[in-house]
Amino acid sequence: MKVSFPYMDTPVLYYKLLDLLGHDIIIPPRPTQHTINLGVKYAPEFACFPLKVLMGTYLEVEEMGADTIVTSGGHGPCRAGYYGKLHQKILDNAGLDLDIIVFDAPKDWRPFLKNLKKIKLDNSWLKVMSVIKTAYALAHSMDRIEKLIHKNRAHALDSRKVSDAWEEIQQKYMEIENRQDIAGVEKWAREKLAGLEYDFPKPDQRIKIGIIGEIYVVMEGSTNNDIEEMLNELGCEVERSHYISEYIDSHLVPWKWKEYQHILDKADNYLEIMIGGHAKRSIGHIVDYKERGFDGVIHLKPFGCLPELVSQSLLDRVSEDPDIPILSLSIDEQMAKANMLTRVEAFLDLIKQKKEEEIA
Amino acid sequence: MKIGIPRSLLFFYYYPFWEELFKELGIEVVVSDKNNERIMNKGVKYSISEICVPMKVYVGQVLDLVEQGADLVYVPRVVNIQKNVTLCPKFLGLPDMIKYSLEGMENKVLTHKIEQESDDISDWKDYQIFLEVFDINKKDLKRALKKASQKWQEYRVMHRKGFTSDQLLEDTKRTPDTGDLTIGVLGYVYNIYDKFVNMDLLGKLREMNVNIVTFEMIDDEVIKREVDQFAPRKKLFWEFSNKLLGAGYHFLKSDEIDGVIHVTAFGCGPDSVLGPFLDIDSDKYDTPFMTLRIDEQTGESHLLTRVEAFVDLLRLQKTKEARKC
Repeated sequence: MKVSFPYMDTPVLYYKLLDLLGHDIIIPPRPTQHTINLGVKYAPEFACFPLKVLMGTYLEVEEMGADTIVTSGGHGPCRAGYYGKLHQKILDNAGLDLDIIVFDAPKDWRPFLKNLKKIKLDNSWLKVMSVIKTAYALAHSMDRIEKLIHKNRAHALDSRKVSDAWEEIQQKYMEIENRQDIAGVEKWAREKLAGLEYDFPKPDQRIKIGIIGEIYVVMEGSTNNDIEEMLNELGCEVERSHYISEYIDSHLVPWKWKEYQHILDKADNYLEIMIGGHAKRSIGHIVDYKERGFDGVIHLKPFGCLPELVSQSLLDRVSEDPDIPILSLSIDEQMAKANMLTRVEAFLDLIKQKKEEEIA
Repeated sequence: MKIGIPRSLLFFYYYPFWEELFKELGIEVVVSDKNNERIMNKGVKYSISEICVPMKVYVGQVLDLVEQGADLVYVPRVVNIQKNVTLCPKFLGLPDMIKYSLEGMENKVLTHKIEQESDDISDWKDYQIFLEVFDINKKDLKRALKKASQKWQEYRVMHRKGFTSDQLLEDTKRTPDTGDLTIGVLGYVYNIYDKFVNMDLLGKLREMNVNIVTFEMIDDEVIKREVDQFAPRKKLFWEFSNKLLGAGYHFLKSDEIDGVIHVTAFGCGPDSVLGPFLDIDSDKYDTPFMTLRIDEQTGESHLLTRVEAFVDLLRLQKTKEARKC
C-alpha cells in the first residue's frame, strides 16, 4: 500500500501521522498550475475550487505511484464532506486505481474504526494512540511557530529570509520521532527566527489584518497567491481564522469545543444558526478582530462556495456595525497574482488612510 | 395585517399549505407577482453577483412585496424536514441574508425555524412565534395547521396522479399529458416552475407533445429506496438534492422514461455534486441525459434549440427501436 493525502498548508502533519505508523508514503507536491489544470479537466465545472485542486493532487500522486489516499470528510451541509465520494466516482470512471479512505467525524463509530483498521497496519492500539498524541502536539507546536511568522515577518528587514527559515523549520519537523523532539525543534525554531533582523515599529503603528473565509483557500498558499506572505511583505501583521491545530480542537476534541464557542457567539447578531462550513465562524472572527484592534479583514472564498456566499451577503452589514474595512475575494482557477496584488494594495491604502485619520 | 409570500424557492412545494394556514388564521396574504424582468432586475441589483439565480429572484420578490404594501414578508428558515438531512446552506441563512443585506428589511421579516421530521411541516412547535405576532391562541393555531396539512396532502396526492405543480397551482388544464414521449425533468421546484428564468421549459416540452415527469410525482418509498441503494451510509446532505437523486436514478432505470433533462441554476453547489453521479451513471443505464443550465441571462433561442434537438434525438431513437422489434 502506497499512501498519499491532500496537501493543505504543509504536508508535515499528515506525513508524520502516517510515517510514525510505518506507512510507505508518497508526499504530495505543493499544488501548481499543472495540478490545477489537471483537476479542472476531470472535476465537474461547477464543483468548488478546493475539490478541483484536490482532484489534481490525487491525479498527480497516482502518477507518482500512490494507490491509497487518506483524507478527512464531513457531515455537511458544506459540499466538502462529499468530496471523497465524488472524487472516487470520477477516478473510477476514468479507470484509475486509487482508493480513497475518508475519515468522517466519529458520529458513527463503525465506519470510523473500519477505516482506522485499514491504516493501522500491525501497530498495537497503544502505539496508534501514542502516534495520534504526537501528531496532536506537532500540530500545536507548528502552528505556534507559524503564527509567530505571520506576525514578525511583517517587520523583517528581509522577509525572504523568514520564509526560507520556515521551509527549513518544516524540514526539521519532518524528522521528529516523539514529543521530546517536537519541543527541541520548536526551541531551535524560535532561536532561529529570533536571530534574524527586524525593525519593529511602535505597537500602535502596526497594521494588523485578519484573514477569514473557507478553510482550504485560507490555509493553502498556492491557491491564494500566498496572501499572507504578500501582506507581510507589504508590512502588515496577519492572523488567519484557520490553523490546523484550532481546527482539530474545535471539531474533533469535544472537551475543547467551548474554548471556541465565544467566536460563534459573536456572530449571533448576524447569523442565527450554524449553516455549515465555517460561515458563522467567519462572521464571528470579524467581530473578534475588531474587538482586538485589527485594522482590516480579508475574506477569501472559492467561487460559488455555499456557506461563504451567505457570509459574503452579510459582510456589508458586519463591516458597517463594528466599523472595520473588509475586502472579499473570490478564488478560482483563474485568479491572477497581479489582480490580487492590486486589490490588496488598494485596500491597504484605504486602511492606512483610515488609521491616520483616526490618530489625527 | 398583510403577510407577503414570495413566489419563489419553496413556494412551489408549500404554497397550498401556507395559503390554507393563513386563511384559517384570518390573515390577509399577498403573493408577489410572477417572476418578470422588473423583479429579476431588482433581485440582481440587490444580491451579490455570485449567488444562484433562484436566490436573486427571491430577493426581487421580497422587495416587490414590500412595495405592494406587505407589512411582513414570510421567510421561514427551513432547516430540515427529516432527521440528519438539511437544506442547502443558503436556505439556512436565508432570513439573515434578507434581514441584513437589504436595507430596511430588518423589522419586516416574519421568520421562524422549521425543523421537522417529515415533509408535512405541521408540527405546531415550530410555529409558536405566530401566537405572539398574530395574537391567537394555541388551539386556533393547531387547528389551522391541521387544515393546512390536509390541503397540502391533497396537493401531494394530485402530484402522484401525474400533475405538475404549475398545473395544480395555476388551475389550468387538469388533463394528464398524452404525448408519445416521456421526459423526466429533474430539478428543484424553483428552477422548473420559474417560467421567466427557464423560458417556459415545461410549456415548450408540452407543445412538442412530450409528457413530463417530475420528482414530486414519484412515491417517497421509491425515492428512499434509490437513495439508500446509492449510499447506504452517507447520503447527500441536502433534502431536495436527495429527492432529485432518488428520482433521477429511478428515471434512469425506468423503461417508461425516454430521457432525462437536469435543469440546474448556474453556480448551484448541491447540483455540482449530484450532477456528475447521474451523468456518469446515465451511460450505464443507456438513458439519454442532458444538463440544462439556467441563469438570469439564458437566451431563449439557445435553450429552445437544445431542447428541440434532445427531443428529436429521443424520438429518432424510439422509432429505431420500434423498427427493430
